[in-house]
This record gives sequence, C-alpha cells and structure tokens, in this order.
Amino acid sequence: MDDLAAPANGPNRRDLLKGAAASFILPFAVSFAPRRAEAAATPVQIGAFIRIDETNTVTLSIGSTEMGQGIMTGLAQLVAEQLQVNWSQMRGEHAIGGSGAGNPYANPLFHAQITGGSTSMMGWYNPMRTAAATVRDMLIQAAAQQTNTTGWKLGTGGTVTNGTTTLTFAAVAATAASVSGLPAPVLATTTKFVGQRMPRLDIPAKVNGSAVFGMDVQVPGMVFASVVHCPTIGGTVGATPAKPSRPGVLGVINLGNAVAVIATNTWTAIKGASDIERNVSWVLPADTSRMDSASLGATAQNLLTSASSGSVYVAEASGTPTLAGAAKTFDQTYKLPFLAHACMEVMNCTASVTADRCEIWAPTQGQEFIIPAAAAACGLSNDKVVLHTTYLGGGFGRKIESDYVLQAVQCSKQLGVPVKLIWSREQDFQNDRFRPSALIRVQAGLDASNNMTALIYRNVSPSIKLQRGPSSVSNPEDTGAVAGAKGLPYSIGARQIEHVALPTDIPLGYWRSVGESYNTFAVESAIDELAKLAVINPLNFRRDRLTDPRAKGVLTAVETLSGWKNLPPTGYQRGVAFLKGFGSYVAMVAEVGKTSTGTIRVSKIYVAVDCGVVVNPDQVEAQMQGGIAHGLAAAMWHQATFVAGVPQVRNFNNYPYLKLQTMPTVLIKLVASTAAPGGVGETAVPVVAPAVANAWAKLTNTRLRSLPFYPGTTMGGL
Amino acid sequence: MPTYTLNVNGVNRTVSVPEASMPLLWVLRDFMGFTGAKYGCGIEVCGACTVIMDNQREHACKVDVSSAVGKKILTVEGLSGDVDGAKAQAAWVTNQVPQCGFCQPGMLTATTAAMKAGHHGSEIAPEIKHICVCGTYPRINKALGGL
Ligand code: FES
Ligand code: FES
Repeated sequence: MDDLAAPANGPNRRDLLKGAAASFILPFAVSFAPRRAEAAATPVQIGAFIRIDETNTVTLSIGSTEMGQGIMTGLAQLVAEQLQVNWSQMRGEHAIGGSGAGNPYANPLFHAQITGGSTSMMGWYNPMRTAAATVRDMLIQAAAQQTNTTGWKLGTGGTVTNGTTTLTFAAVAATAASVSGLPAPVLATTTKFVGQRMPRLDIPAKVNGSAVFGMDVQVPGMVFASVVHCPTIGGTVGATPAKPSRPGVLGVINLGNAVAVIATNTWTAIKGASDIERNVSWVLPADTSRMDSASLGATAQNLLTSASSGSVYVAEASGTPTLAGAAKTFDQTYKLPFLAHACMEVMNCTASVTADRCEIWAPTQGQEFIIPAAAAACGLSNDKVVLHTTYLGGGFGRKIESDYVLQAVQCSKQLGVPVKLIWSREQDFQNDRFRPSALIRVQAGLDASNNMTALIYRNVSPSIKLQRGPSSVSNPEDTGAVAGAKGLPYSIGARQIEHVALPTDIPLGYWRSVGESYNTFAVESAIDELAKLAVINPLNFRRDRLTDPRAKGVLTAVETLSGWKNLPPTGYQRGVAFLKGFGSYVAMVAEVGKTSTGTIRVSKIYVAVDCGVVVNPDQVEAQMQGGIAHGLAAAMWHQATFVAGVPQVRNFNNYPYLKLQTMPTVLIKLVASTAAPGGVGETAVPVVAPAVANAWAKLTNTRLRSLPFYPGTTMGGL
Repeated sequence: MPTYTLNVNGVNRTVSVPEASMPLLWVLRDFMGFTGAKYGCGIEVCGACTVIMDNQREHACKVDVSSAVGKKILTVEGLSGDVDGAKAQAAWVTNQVPQCGFCQPGMLTATTAAMKAGHHGSEIAPEIKHICVCGTYPRINKALGGL
C-alpha cells in the first residue's frame, strides 16, 4: 500500500486556486427539505465505533467505505458476535472521515483511511472484534457500577444480566462510556453471526430509493455545477470563457484544467458545460506523443526487446534463468489495454466552504487524501475539514482520487454557497485515471520431464508509482506493476521478473485488482501454453507444480465443481486459471463455446475460493459473481484508446458491459479455512480473462494473447 | 420559467424549470427531491434513470418534463405503495441483490413495469437490458424467477 500513500498526480492545487470567477450572477437559493433529521434523543457513543441509542439500537461507524462489497455488514457481524445483539438491532454508517496519525478509522493494516486492495476485512477482522469485545466488557462493568453488585455478564438481545436482573445496553450505556482500566477482552469465538449469511444492512435503503449516494446529497441553499475539461489530456484553460447563454446558468469558474458551469440544476450545468467546450481557448500540451495509443504501442515494443539495463526494475531474481539447454522452450508476448473505471455513479461531490470550515459530502475511498488536500485548497487546518462519506455507486479504485472533490471545494470556496458538482458520463470516461496498459513477454523452459527450469518475465507497463513519485526516477521499484508475477507459488526453477516503466502522460490509476489485472492474464495464459507444450492436463500441470495445500485445494475444489474430469457439453471446452493474491486463493474454470456467428460464448464459470475465515458467505459469493461480470466485460470488450492525447471512449455505448442476457451461470465453492481472512473484492477479476482464453484455445486451437478479445467496434461475443 | 404540474408517486406537485426540454430525470432529482432515479449515461443505454409513466417504463433521462404532464409517474420511492413494486422490492431483499445499489432503482422500476404488462418470472429478464457494473445479474435473475 506504499503506492497509495503517494499524492495523486494532477493539476497543482495552487494553479486551481488561481482561477477567477467571471461574470457572476449571484445564485438564488434553491430550497430543499433538509436531509432526514438526526435522532433528537441522546445516543451514547462508546469508543470510536459503537453507539447505543435509547431504543437499544447499536450503530457501528465504519472507516472503510461501503461501495458495494458489503463491508458495512461484514464488520457489523463481527460486532454483533461480541455483543450478542439481535441482528435487527444493528445499524451501520460511515464514520466521519479522518486523516493522519491518531485517526481511529484508518485501516489498521496500513494506518490510512483508504479502502482498496481488498484489505478491509483483512485489516479490521481482529481490531473490530477487539473493539466490540471491549465495549461488551465496559457495558458489563457499567451494570456492576450502576447497581453496586457483582456477577454481571452478557445477556442476549442487547442486554447484560446477573441472573435475576436484566438491563438493556441503553440502560447502562452512559455509565459504560466512561469505564476504563479493564483488562484486555477475551474474544467470543461463537458463530451466531460470523460465517453466517446475514442480510446486508444497506439493502433495504438500496431498494426503496432512500440510500444517499454522492449525487443524491441535498444541502440547503446549494447550487449545481458540472465541468468540462480540456478534450486533450493535460490541456489548460487559456482564458475564462463567457457564461453560456442558457436559462438557469449562474456563472462559470476557471478551475485551471477545466471550466465549471454553475447552474440552478445539474442538467443545465451539464448542458452548459458541453455548450462551451468548443468556445474555451484551451492551451494544449506541447507534446502528445506520450498520450497516443499508436506511439505508446511502438515505444512499448521497443522497450520489450531493448530497454537499457538502467531502466529495468528486477523485482525478483533467483538463479540464472536461461532457455539454453531446455528440452522445450516457450516465448510469447501478451498485450493488455488501458482501461477505464466506469463507476456506475459518475464522479461527483458536494462541498460547503466558509471562511473557517470546509464541509464535504463525497463518495470516496480516499478520506486520507481528501482532508489534507481540501484543507490546503481552503487555507484551513485539517481539523476544519468535515468529511462525510456517502454510499458509492461503485468505486473500483477510481474514487480513491481527490480530483473531483477538490473541484467542488474550489467552486464552493469561490461562490460562498454549497455546491454539488457532477461530471457528465462523457467527462467521467475522458478524465479517468486509467488502468495501465501492459505488454508482457514470457520466456520459459521445460526439461525432459516437463519440469519448469526457467522463467524470464518482462512487463512493459506505465508505472503508477513513477507518475506519482519524484520525476527524476526512471526506474521506480513499482511493486504494484509486478503484483501477480512476483512471488508466483509455482515451482519454476530459476526466474527473473522485470518491469520496465512505459513513459506516458496518460493519468494512471488503481483499477480493481491493479497489477494482477494484467500480470495474471500473462502468467495464467503462459502456464496453460506450457501445459500444452508438455502435453499435460492444464489443471494437473498447475497442481503438480504447487506445494501450498491451499493452492492445491482450490484447484481440486474447482476440478470437482466443474466436473473437469468429465467431457464438457458438445461444442464447449473448459479452461482453468489460478491466482494466489489479496490474501486469498482462487481457481476458476470457464466453459466456453461459440455463438451463432462463431464468437466467444461463455456459458458457465466455476470458481473455488479460499479466503480464510469467511465472515459472510453470501457476500463472498456476491464478490465472486461481481468480479466475474467485471472481468469478463473487460476481457471481451474494454479498452481505452487515445489519439494525440484525446481519450476516445465517451460513454457506455462504446464501453459495453454484460447484461442480464449475457451473464454466464456462475457456480461457486467456498473452501473451508481457518486461516486469517483474505480479500475477495478483487480476487475473481484477474482470472476470468485467462480462464476464457485457455478454454477458447482448447476449443479452437487459437490462442488469444491480446485483450480485449473483441476490440474496436466489433463488440462481438457472448 | 415554464411551470408544470407533475403527479409523482400519487401526489401532484407544481414545479418551475428553466427549460421545457429539461428531462424528467433532473426535474425529479433537482427540483422535487426524488433522488431515487439515477443518472448513469444520459443516452438511454444504462437504464439507471428508469421510471414508470402510466404503467410503461421510460428512460427519465430522455423524457421531456413537458411530456410527463398528466401522466402518473412512479419512481423507486413509490414502489412500496404499489402492489407489483412491493413484490419486486421484497424479492430483491430476499435474494440480497444489490451491491453498490446504484443501478437497482432502474432495475426495480423496469421489473415493476414488466409485471404491470402481465409478464412474470423468467419472461421479464429478456426485457431488461440495463447495465449493472457490479454484476448483480445472477441475483436479479433469481429474484425475477419468483415474480
Ligand atoms: S441515464 Fe438514462 S438510460 Fe442511462
Ligand atoms: S449494484 Fe452496483 S451497478 Fe448494479
């Protein structure tokens, strides 16, 4: 997570502040019903995480962001287990955002309030149980103090009891809040909630329309904003354009690299922004060659074969891998595109900045970064920034950035009223922080007994770390760029794993499963090709080269689940892929046939996952299903291309997703484990493309080494 | 400013908007406080903005506010008061469908409209071509199966 601690690249904050408002009509107040009033009574906060109100409702404040992965529910299950409350008593909410040392909501794994890397359950499993057990002991002690008696213990349904008298948590909460000096708590290891399919706490609000996503925030007196960035990446605003003459437009603000149009409503703001796109005198970057798909492709090819040794990061080396003397040799190159995040909810933020306070409502995975950035933009100290995290309509790594948040802050600071700023879908696609492309060469050798004797792996890929770090480094040790290739659990023989940073000015970002999203395609395709070279069943080939029982276990589980040993249905073949990553193990089998036009049809996907202790099997399954949908759409169709610095994807019509009709049947096996919890949000994504490519190779004898399978406008398949 | 009276979830409300061509989606969201219908694409591809008008599903991102006058508009906020809508919501909860939840108001309104057209169970799935980036499709299919 070192990389995530680096500040996001982007327009200099000082530059953003230079923008001046032009021809402003003072906005009139738009009046709204205030958001649901806070409960009037006096709930008691016990520690940082748990609040108990007079109805004996237990509310958990989480530092991780709920963006669909179910973490709010998972953490609440840990709390419910220690407190033995009824599930109907549990509520969840996002804690107020924090940053820096002493923030109780920072993920204990890396001490920052960031949600990413599938680390929320990993980081919070023990700390949250301990926090809840501490509160439990405080409640018990409070009952003893209040009644001046001993012999109290935890009851059920949110009570403490001494055998004759039972008191609700609410009755002792106020006393409990100031209990101190208790010994370290003993953690309950019961499984009334943990390991159970508890219904999600956020689902009722997500089916009745009351869930507040970022773009649903309503603040009294707010105005609306939308932005237009320079169509060429890196361009800036030459001069503040005139306000578009559209009824409802209130003004424009120069944000340095974009113009915000302020209006009485979102639609007018979006329309106004597109009205002026051509009228703004953009100052284009001098050189766009590093933001052009064709020239980047040529540079990558060059670096693959002839990068100077000083620009090669050797991430892992053991022995001296050589193909000389191998009985069979392998040398192939795999290619993956830049990708967009395309969160279902576009970038948006609401901010209210006054002389001494900056209040923000944001769909964010990166509270840690927002607070200092907003404070700097406002000239305030960090403690004057109040950050509310809303539900996220998808994050996938995009909402870890602060760019869209700072735009709202800047607009509100200039206007002196609350501003809700929403990007159009077109702006969202064009101003993404893109998943890096990758060109990967895999060379390997097998001996006469088909043991792997050597692996030489070179990935030429733009480096997120380089882009966000000191610009003098040309060879950053970007561990993220080799994730999924470094430390492979297979018996490989001698190996050398390299990364060469492809220089680019395309803004880069963390995309669901980050390095594994490209390296796993190359690794698991190559392993399959080696199995073919060895004439060995590809599942056995993998399993026989693994020693870790958990790794072997998921392969065996998916072998059984998929009926791997039986013939597939006529016209179909199966392909397998494996990943150890994010603290978990996953093996996937894709069953693939042809559509009526001869393109790829994925009928079924089988997945076995060992993610250690499972807190909520239903949510692990949901992440497998979702990860498969995400990975399959990317494998089939997704690529973000650039022509002289202009991103070509603008909307979902040229960046399609699966639909109800094209989603394969998914069958899941959770492998029982007592190991520490691993991650599941990203784990399924990287193995989809290689599993499908491996099945297709078996079916057609055609090896697909380039993603997406159906680029450009063909959009075939499924 | 053009002024319109809209019937949303059974209640008449009068709103003034800057332009007659403003899509219903933004009138609901920004002028009436019904934020359940979502903006996803603005080009009738994703389905997140879907509402029901006179029992038909519509992309609120493309319906002009003026053409919504006189129609009975049902949004996700009104589904619990609708026989079909309430059934769909219950099926969504039973099957734990939503992940991020952003696309689900559109999925639910489209499902409710399909039920109003007399379609049931697996007949509904072919009609819903919305995008769910989270990939909740297996659970939507399961939920539809019981409707
Ligand atoms: S917002 Fe209307 S269909 Fe996407
Ligand atoms: S639940 Fe997130 S987009 Fe459908």
